[in-house]
Amino acid sequence: MINQATEGNTLNTDPRSPGIDNAGGQSGPATQRRASKGSLREIGDAIVAVWWRFFDWLAVVSWKKLALVSLLGLILAGILKHPVPFLMVIIASIIIKVVAGGKRRAELTADEATKRAETEQLERTVLEARMEALQAQIEPHFLFNTLASIDQLIQTDPPRASKMQQSLIRYLRTAMPQMRDGKRPTLGQQVDLCSAFLEIMSVRMEGRLQPVVTIPEGLKSAVFPSMMLQTLVENAIKHGLEPKPEGGRLEIGAEIVDGLLAVHVLDNGIGFMPKAEAGVGLANVRERLKALYKGRAELIISVPPAGGTCATIKVPYEIAPAASPD
Amino acid sequence: MHPLPAPTAVIADDERLMREQIADRLKEAWPELSIVGEAGNGSEAVAMVRSLEPNIAFLDISMPGMDGIQAAQALAGQVHVVFVTAHDQYAISAFEQGAVDYLLKPADPERVALTCQRLRARLEQAPNPMNELLAQLSKRLGAGGTNPSEYMRWIQASVGATIRMIPTSDILFFRAEDKYTRVQTRGFEALIRKPIKELIDELDPDEFWQIHRSTVVRVDAVDQVSRDFRGRQIVHLKGSEEKLEVSRTFNHLFKQM
Repeated sequence: MINQATEGNTLNTDPRSPGIDNAGGQSGPATQRRASKGSLREIGDAIVAVWWRFFDWLAVVSWKKLALVSLLGLILAGILKHPVPFLMVIIASIIIKVVAGGKRRAELTADEATKRAETEQLERTVLEARMEALQAQIEPHFLFNTLASIDQLIQTDPPRASKMQQSLIRYLRTAMPQMRDGKRPTLGQQVDLCSAFLEIMSVRMEGRLQPVVTIPEGLKSAVFPSMMLQTLVENAIKHGLEPKPEGGRLEIGAEIVDGLLAVHVLDNGIGFMPKAEAGVGLANVRERLKALYKGRAELIISVPPAGGTCATIKVPYEIAPAASPD
Repeated sequence: MHPLPAPTAVIADDERLMREQIADRLKEAWPELSIVGEAGNGSEAVAMVRSLEPNIAFLDISMPGMDGIQAAQALAGQVHVVFVTAHDQYAISAFEQGAVDYLLKPADPERVALTCQRLRARLEQAPNPMNELLAQLSKRLGAGGTNPSEYMRWIQASVGATIRMIPTSDILFFRAEDKYTRVQTRGFEALIRKPIKELIDELDPDEFWQIHRSTVVRVDAVDQVSRDFRGRQIVHLKGSEEKLEVSRTFNHLFKQM
């Protein structure tokens, strides 16, 4: 169906190329023959193009308009005193419209819808690619500081150095753009990734970071988008706890509220500044939630009564299918 | 060269492992140098330098509270400063132009030895106040993103029982209502106590326009502007049925191009 429609389009534009052929072919009988053959083909193409355009017009025009045009044509034909052939054309048009009009109209609509869908698909792909590029952004500051800490531990406390290095590997593996294994990310996986990050930061910040992770076992299989919890945890440390000389607590929790899975990251750090530039991280989370769930998910930043910051992501509650592809 | 009394130093870094590392490396490269104190943040470092009067201070750049640059500014001319950093590309390029030395984490023994050599040569001179370099550094690092914006990017408002931080990009408009100002987003409304008159000074004028004594609208949320039968301009919003009147004073905002 769609093929036919595009064929019509090609035929509309095709006649231009033989025209170029003609411009060069002025001398010699052979060239002239080719030229006349070319112009014949050109005329043929033009007729086909006009026919398709007429057919398209016939398919989409309203009956009222068709009647009006027919009437005008009939009057014109009457003046020219040749009403019979024109009457036949009108009758043929009506028959074509009845028989093929509906189908043709459907084809045109389908064609337009496909084009729109393709644009949307393209936009989504571009968005996803951009998201992945952003996901892969691992703070160089974090990486270099962690490597420097491991370097020191190798000399003073090799078993701890090894443990920290393993945490770093675990973190890097999951922080890299996610491999497409066909499964949707679960809350459990995201929490594991954050735990690796928190282990590293606890070694570095020592008593200044007290992480508390309380995720009900039953919620770990719930679907949860990748790298969002990570962003919230990194923010809580970087903007909430690290700038606070005595440090503080960081709590990750999850619950079901009104059929939504609500995952929160709570800290008792220095708190949110109203004039702080909205970071790439939070803007990225918002954008991805919008792209993934339309209006059904949200990111809420609130100020707990005891101070600090609480960031909550709410997404529709869904259990990840065992191993079926997404 | 006449013999000097044993040189002293303090080390400031918010991570103990990093302080240990610098201390270990210094011990290898410069056994006579005695580390007289370790600080976990900038203000501790400043207090320590003032009370112990060491010759040298090793300052990590990113520390909580007061950072390394601010600490160096507070201590200008009182101590020889060596900055320590894991990854501050701006800082590194600035150090390379300046007179002061810097160390990259993890500290490379050979590089530490070079730093110690430079410090030995410089100890006899008075510490460089580094005013220009520090000003340049704090400006460069500030531009890195930790600097607060001039305008509000978040509105702190109560929604039900909780206090929420609403990004300004989510807000459709603000409207004065009795004693409160209503904050309207696509999904909900919240109330704040700050009057429109005060609010308008703290909002980015490129992001928000005042269109009425009691209304401020986010420019990007405006769908179209029509006129009613009395000729008044009416703002229609994207994602909301609510229509906002533009008062005569602000008519010029929506002039045709």
